[in-house]
Amino acid sequence: MKFDVIIIGGGLAGCTAGVALQEAGLRCAIVAEGLSLHECPREKFIELGGTIFPGDRVTGGHIVGRKVKWVETRNLDGTLLEADNFILATGKFFSRGLISNMNEIYEPVFGCDVKYDKNPAKWVSQSFNDSQPFEKFGVITDAVGQVSIQGNTVENLYAAGEILCGERDIVSSALDVAAQIVGR
Amino acid sequence: MNQYDVIIIGGGITGVGTARDCALRGLKVLLLARGDLTAGATGRNHGLLHSGARYAVTDRDSAAECIRENKILRRIAAHCVEPTGGLFITLPEDDLSYQDNFIKCCIDAGIKAEAIDPKEALKMEPSVNPALIGAVKVPDASVDPFRLATANALDAKLHGAVILTYHEVVSFIKDKNWIVGVQARDTRTGKTEKYYAPLTVNAAGIWGQNIAGMAGCQIKMLPAKGSLLIFGHRVNNMVINRCRKPANADILVPGDVVCVIGTTSDKVPMEECDDIRVTGDEVQLLLKEGCLLSPSLAHTRILRAYAGVRPLVASDDDPTGRKTSRGIVLLDHDRRDGIPGFISITGGKLTSYRLMGEMATDLVCDKLGRRSRCRTAELPLPGSEKELFDSAKGLRIAEKAAIGRQGTMVSKMDFSHKSEILCECEHVTRAEIAYAAKYLDVHNMMDLRRRTRVGMGTCQGSFCMKKVAAALARELGCPERTEEFIREYIEERWKGMAPVCWGESLCEAEYMRKLYADKKE
Repeated sequence: MKFDVIIIGGGLAGCTAGVALQEAGLRCAIVAEGLSLHECPREKFIELGGTIFPGDRVTGGHIVGRKVKWVETRNLDGTLLEADNFILATGKFFSRGLISNMNEIYEPVFGCDVKYDKNPAKWVSQSFNDSQPFEKFGVITDAVGQVSIQGNTVENLYAAGEILCGERDIVSSALDVAAQIVGR
Repeated sequence: MNQYDVIIIGGGITGVGTARDCALRGLKVLLLARGDLTAGATGRNHGLLHSGARYAVTDRDSAAECIRENKILRRIAAHCVEPTGGLFITLPEDDLSYQDNFIKCCIDAGIKAEAIDPKEALKMEPSVNPALIGAVKVPDASVDPFRLATANALDAKLHGAVILTYHEVVSFIKDKNWIVGVQARDTRTGKTEKYYAPLTVNAAGIWGQNIAGMAGCQIKMLPAKGSLLIFGHRVNNMVINRCRKPANADILVPGDVVCVIGTTSDKVPMEECDDIRVTGDEVQLLLKEGCLLSPSLAHTRILRAYAGVRPLVASDDDPTGRKTSRGIVLLDHDRRDGIPGFISITGGKLTSYRLMGEMATDLVCDKLGRRSRCRTAELPLPGSEKELFDSAKGLRIAEKAAIGRQGTMVSKMDFSHKSEILCECEHVTRAEIAYAAKYLDVHNMMDLRRRTRVGMGTCQGSFCMKKVAAALARELGCPERTEEFIREYIEERWKGMAPVCWGESLCEAEYMRKLYADKKE
């Protein structure tokens, strides 16, 4: 199956980007674990003709050169999802966009470069209401919102929303990425 | 007014155990606890009812004491004890020849210890490390220290004792060198009050050193921090120990729906005892050693880390605190230091708390010239008067859970009007919260947690704390404190989550922050 853009993750960021891209005339598909679908933009996305694969999860992708060719999902039974561009909007830890163990933090779908403190003792502050370092960990993107894997930029893979490192606004990061893709 | 026969300082298991014994013997008792009941070492240990096997080789007296008390507590505190049994396993890296002497020492101390085939052990306890080359079965058990202390405090009150939590002793009242009372400050209101009694018992655990100092004598405690990890699942059904000389992190105890690995043992300065935190190195060590007992721990979510301070009385300068005798220390300060009216009961362990209470109360009665026999080994604690589980057929799970925690005291709970479950992990109903607020000296969410297990489950309170806080505040007649209850409670939960914040715990932490963190706007 081929789309213009495949969005991985159907939270606020994924759905917002999806709506913006459909409005710009691109054909999008969102692969989202059921509960995370963001109600309001989701309805709009469907109204605009977007495709949703609900309750599904991207298990991996195929990268050739500096581009993602396709991704595969848990439920599509080997059917590959191809697209010109991909957006990673899987959120942070609770939504499994980032995975942690006692030594490291990684992004599970593509192994994108993640910014985090290498000392696990510094991930959490002592007091609940203090600013929490782990909330600023996330995938590293360049000026146009593209991610890198082991230092190499992946030209058609963008990241948006909570999965980003730093303190980015969810909606504006999603709209920025959508604008980049539309402008290409 | 404020005149008692005996004042007991300390709201741990030793204090409440002594209070119960004194009250049962007809004394007018006042117990003063600096914070909540069980807020110190009593609430920060393994929850292991020792068979004594752990001490059989190194300390025969403690071992014999443990097995005697173990048998008594199974009877009088049935609703607090789960008779899981225990295994002492030998792994390939351990010396199997230790086992024979271990069994001999156990039997010598009166502990039924029986070598079993490793294959048999694996059948009995499928989570045990399959690499084991030896196994010994002993009568270890799991005990809920919160429940046990609560039941003792409740029985003391039912026999006339007055229990004042959040009352810190600030000075002793002396008549010449006789101690005739104490001055205590209500830490919640700041008010100070005088209380009088011909005898004061220092049962303040590790903090007993400071109490003794205030009274004008010296007890040198050797604070030994013990850190533990609590897992979100109960991987084992029996207590699993290593069959070797006692060392770090070699006991895995099941309790309720969780299990606990511990402990470490490190000397800490007295000043640090009020706020001890688990370090990353300790977590690593506990996990590494724990996985040797039960490999599945490697894939099990860690709910939280916590640490307590053993009230060991220093006998030498052993930095590990392990060579110190775990024996009970009863000090008559009249004889020892020329301070009449003051005694200390310290050392010992959770398993031997009842005996500590008996010894202290014997001395109290002796000093007061009262002749009264100790009955704490015979009379069941409130909640354990009779086995309720047979009659629990057909009850809802939440009511059974309440029976498990509070025993026969469920008769005081209003299930017909307050049946809704507020904490779903632990099945705590509004009825049980109302009961705890009314009868169990609950002043905040942490107190409530220690009495009912509210928020101790896998969500660590994320889903229920608002409901529970609102219900508690209403029952206590202070609805305006709901927000404060929540804030205090989260801060306390965070303290235990922070040292183990990766994997599932980090997901939970992120979620908790989203729900409850103070927003900057």
